[in-house]
Amino acid sequence: MKKTLLFTILSLFLTVSYAQIDRTQPPKPGPAPKINLEEPNTFELKNGLKVMVVENRKLPRVSIQLDIDNPPVLEGDKAGVSSLMASMLGNGSSNIPKDEFNEEVDFLGARLSFGASSAFASSLSKYFPRILELMADAAINPNFTAEEFEKEKAKLITGLKTEENDVSAIADKVQRALAYGTKHPYGEITSEETVNNVTLFDVEQFYRKNFVPANAYLVIIGDVDFKTAKDLVTKAFTPWTRAVPPTYSYSKPMDAQYTQINFVDMPNAVQSEVAVQNLVDLKMKDDDYLPALIANQILGGGGEGRLFLNLREDKGYTYGSYSSIGNDRFSPVRFTAEAQVRNMVTDSSVVQILEEIDRITKEPVTAEELKNTKAKYAGRFVMALEQPQTIARYALNIEKEGLPKDFYKNYLQNINAISVADVQNAAKKYFSTDKARVVVAGKGSEVLENLEKVSFNGKAVPVLYFDKNANKTEKPDYNAGIPEGITANDVLNKYIEAIGGAEKVNAITSLKLVYEGEAMGSKIKVEEKRTADKLAQTTYMNENPMMGVVAKGDELFMKQGGNKMPLPEDMKADMMNTMGIFVEQALLANGTAKLAGIEQVDGKDAYKLEVPGKITQTSLFYDVETGLKVKEAAVITMNGQSQNQSGMLKEYKEIDGIMFPSIKTQSMGPQEIEVTLLEAVINQGVTDADFE
Amino acid sequence: MKKLLGFMSLLMVSSGIIFAQEVEFEEYKLDNGMHVILHQDNNVPVVTVAVSYHVGSKNENPEKTGFAHFFEHLLFEGTKNIERGEWFKLVSSNGGSNNATTNYDRTYYYENFPSNNLELGLWMESERLMHPIINQIGVDTQKEVVQEERRLRVDNQPYGRWQEQMFKNLFSKHPYRWTVIGSLEHLASASLEDFQNFNKKFYVPNNAVLVVAGDFEKGEAKRMIQDYFGPIPKGPDVVQPTYVEDPIQGPIKVQYEDPNIQIPLIMMGYRTPGQTERDAYVLDMISTYLSDGKSSKLYKKLVDEKKMALQVFAFNGSQEDYGAYIVGGLPVGETSLEDIMKEIDEEILKLQTELISENDYQKLQNKAENNFVNSNSSIAGIAGSLANYYLLYDDTNLINTQIDIYRSITREEIRDVAAKYLKTDQRVELEYLPEQKNAN
Repeated sequence: MKKTLLFTILSLFLTVSYAQIDRTQPPKPGPAPKINLEEPNTFELKNGLKVMVVENRKLPRVSIQLDIDNPPVLEGDKAGVSSLMASMLGNGSSNIPKDEFNEEVDFLGARLSFGASSAFASSLSKYFPRILELMADAAINPNFTAEEFEKEKAKLITGLKTEENDVSAIADKVQRALAYGTKHPYGEITSEETVNNVTLFDVEQFYRKNFVPANAYLVIIGDVDFKTAKDLVTKAFTPWTRAVPPTYSYSKPMDAQYTQINFVDMPNAVQSEVAVQNLVDLKMKDDDYLPALIANQILGGGGEGRLFLNLREDKGYTYGSYSSIGNDRFSPVRFTAEAQVRNMVTDSSVVQILEEIDRITKEPVTAEELKNTKAKYAGRFVMALEQPQTIARYALNIEKEGLPKDFYKNYLQNINAISVADVQNAAKKYFSTDKARVVVAGKGSEVLENLEKVSFNGKAVPVLYFDKNANKTEKPDYNAGIPEGITANDVLNKYIEAIGGAEKVNAITSLKLVYEGEAMGSKIKVEEKRTADKLAQTTYMNENPMMGVVAKGDELFMKQGGNKMPLPEDMKADMMNTMGIFVEQALLANGTAKLAGIEQVDGKDAYKLEVPGKITQTSLFYDVETGLKVKEAAVITMNGQSQNQSGMLKEYKEIDGIMFPSIKTQSMGPQEIEVTLLEAVINQGVTDADFE
Repeated sequence: MKKLLGFMSLLMVSSGIIFAQEVEFEEYKLDNGMHVILHQDNNVPVVTVAVSYHVGSKNENPEKTGFAHFFEHLLFEGTKNIERGEWFKLVSSNGGSNNATTNYDRTYYYENFPSNNLELGLWMESERLMHPIINQIGVDTQKEVVQEERRLRVDNQPYGRWQEQMFKNLFSKHPYRWTVIGSLEHLASASLEDFQNFNKKFYVPNNAVLVVAGDFEKGEAKRMIQDYFGPIPKGPDVVQPTYVEDPIQGPIKVQYEDPNIQIPLIMMGYRTPGQTERDAYVLDMISTYLSDGKSSKLYKKLVDEKKMALQVFAFNGSQEDYGAYIVGGLPVGETSLEDIMKEIDEEILKLQTELISENDYQKLQNKAENNFVNSNSSIAGIAGSLANYYLLYDDTNLINTQIDIYRSITREEIRDVAAKYLKTDQRVELEYLPEQKNAN
């Protein structure tokens, strides 16, 4: 006890001595740190290769980066040729066999990899001269063999297969294809078919045409001095033959004409991938480049972006929602705002994202948002300087994008000068909610119903359907899976068979069924009498008849107390379709039922038959295995309003050689009533008086 | 060949000389038991403030899994002096970036700032520990968010459940048997009080290490650390649980069907010792030998020469108490999973019975050296390593000395460790398959 007290006093004492700091307010930042923006040393080889060297001695390592800055290439019906080429590069050279080459790279503990228009290597500085040689050799004297080609092709195809059920990979592919069109380098789709069109000769030709030094940059960063680097690079890369890549032309991508949802059905999805996108014509050297970045940042640039705060923090729809805006000097590129959301809230997420985009184009951002975002950019700029790659990237951008030489020197100043109006203008120019393409990849059977109801700014947003390769398609049919050759009549006949067989069923001239149950504290009894062309149904509550429906000849009326009320003509017409001891007999005779597919009822597959009608649309479900009817549902539409009814039929039992469901559960709106079979009387006790 | 030999001998001479880019640091304890590590580097004006708590999914109640990770989310919901929703804004509006990660053994929070915001970082992390607001709004929101995180990272992700399937079979007593993200049911039924108790138990200064790395002056930093963290009261001691697993009686054969994939995957898992054990380092080298780089044994044989596999992998996922050594591959075309397994087993058997070549051994050393140099390349990365080495290895200086452990590993040890742990009858064989659709 004493000890505790002492401790308390001590901690009190300590607390007092700390009282100088004010915890209630965030501490103010100190003076802005000085930044040191170095410039790389550069030189150019005769073949056009431009070289940059950033000396950085902090760690004993060097990285080498080759960047061939060609315009994008449309690969067309040979899509995949560039990735095949990339995967075949770096596997030896015409001078060093593959195994020996790979062994040596690994032995050095180094990394070396190639892309379709790039290469990268890194190693300890003591191995830099050798890894540079190996990289140059592999780049200039590639080792394209038939064996490697076949292997890489098989791998690429297998790789494409791995993506077939991958929701985010499909979403990404379709987003691009729809934004740019499949006849554009950024939108074209690599498929098994296009890969199979590629030959080894195509790869070699692609290499010869495109893997050339005219637009190439080589960036060396790390523990090496300029002179050494220059000597080694000159020796290694001078043999690269001077050549300029061909120029290609392709169709200019266009935005959607009106805002629409493009839906891709992914039955295995447990989340929907939602992306709202439009095209932007934005280059780094544009005057509103920085304001566009700031607008995007405020909208969805991170954990404090509006999208994140709305969809994640406020609504909990998603793990994260972000936007991004591209820039490209060869082609329009995408602005996208996206989220992966749970199925239930797919439609709401679409609306929320659209609303956030709309808001930032229509209302100015707050001064505080702008201030905070500028600070974020400033901080990011300062912190990025920790990596020597940043210096190289800045220098490369100035060259490639045609930026003013002092672009990065003035960067912080230019960021700081951006006004609220600049941001809104950029948002208006680059973000669209009236020509937006909302690409959703998700589980249609769970999300489509609500997605089809989405409207925005007072207009319905139409849903168009696409397959996994961005081809237009029909609305998915969730009732697929019917075995070939099965018709509605087969299902109806099987039912008749299952309940006792045609002979017994056709011998029935009248039928009385009585079901009993409880609802809202009252005893409910439902009595149904049928002949071939007449029907009377009476519902009793606590033994008093509450309501009746009678159909005969061309009459259809409702009885309540002593009153007879005729029902609408259209409903009568519908009803006549389904008259008979068993509905199925009528449907077999008039052929109006359609087999709509297979759906699960209580966990078991059931055939779904649809009986169309003007007012009443009926669906009947028959167990695939037993043939018995397990569910009846109807949608009744009158005066523009719809009501759903459905009932489950369970536990069939035999009475006089015919099977009847002994339990029916009936749902009407929110209520559910269960009734059990009290009696079934065949060919007795039904008279004409029952139908008055 | 001659050229290659000459080149090799050149290497032998030059290797062994490595610039010792020593990471200097100072460490001490506050009176409340909080451990502090300072790493000063004034080259670039950036600073990282990080706190690691010695609590991960390992410390969870089996009936309440996912708490550690969930709690990480909750601790961004605000504090007494930082309103809900302000955390991220505060960081980014001051030019910083931040995040947090949870694993089996620890939970790590960090902010990276331009160096003029060191004090802000210290204030925020001290607020997180001293004044967290754990309320129903936060719990409700983060329940939804974590569910989506699970769907994103696990349920919708091709091969997203391998870890869950593997670990529940590798471990029967140790909490490593459940995943860090845990059970959505457990989280759904968790009460506010559960979370408050979790906070009281684990989020105490004596269960944490604070790392400040980057551009600052030590005297000033120490004063501020004392100001912000000193007043936080010490909590009850946190006792780390210990579990001893019985050897696996096996092989345990498991199948799992994933609706998100087309290509099956075979994966063998072996239970291995905790990451501080020397054997764990040897197993790292074995992974490199088997699957790192195009000349590695499994890649070269299965992917390159025999074209049986699309991809092969071997890695030692070590944790504080145990590791899981995982090796496997994805078949190409009609190759069966069994065949892939057979080929892998053949290579492992060689490793267990023969010494690897001198050349391969030197290659492993070069790779280890390269990894070592690259591991300390950013201030943020150094901060994370310092926290880990202190908290989970109890030796902060491993950041400088770990390379010596790799250097001292012999070829004989590699053989013996492979034989000791990679036993076919003490492993889990997971066939990870595409989901079969009902043909109807």
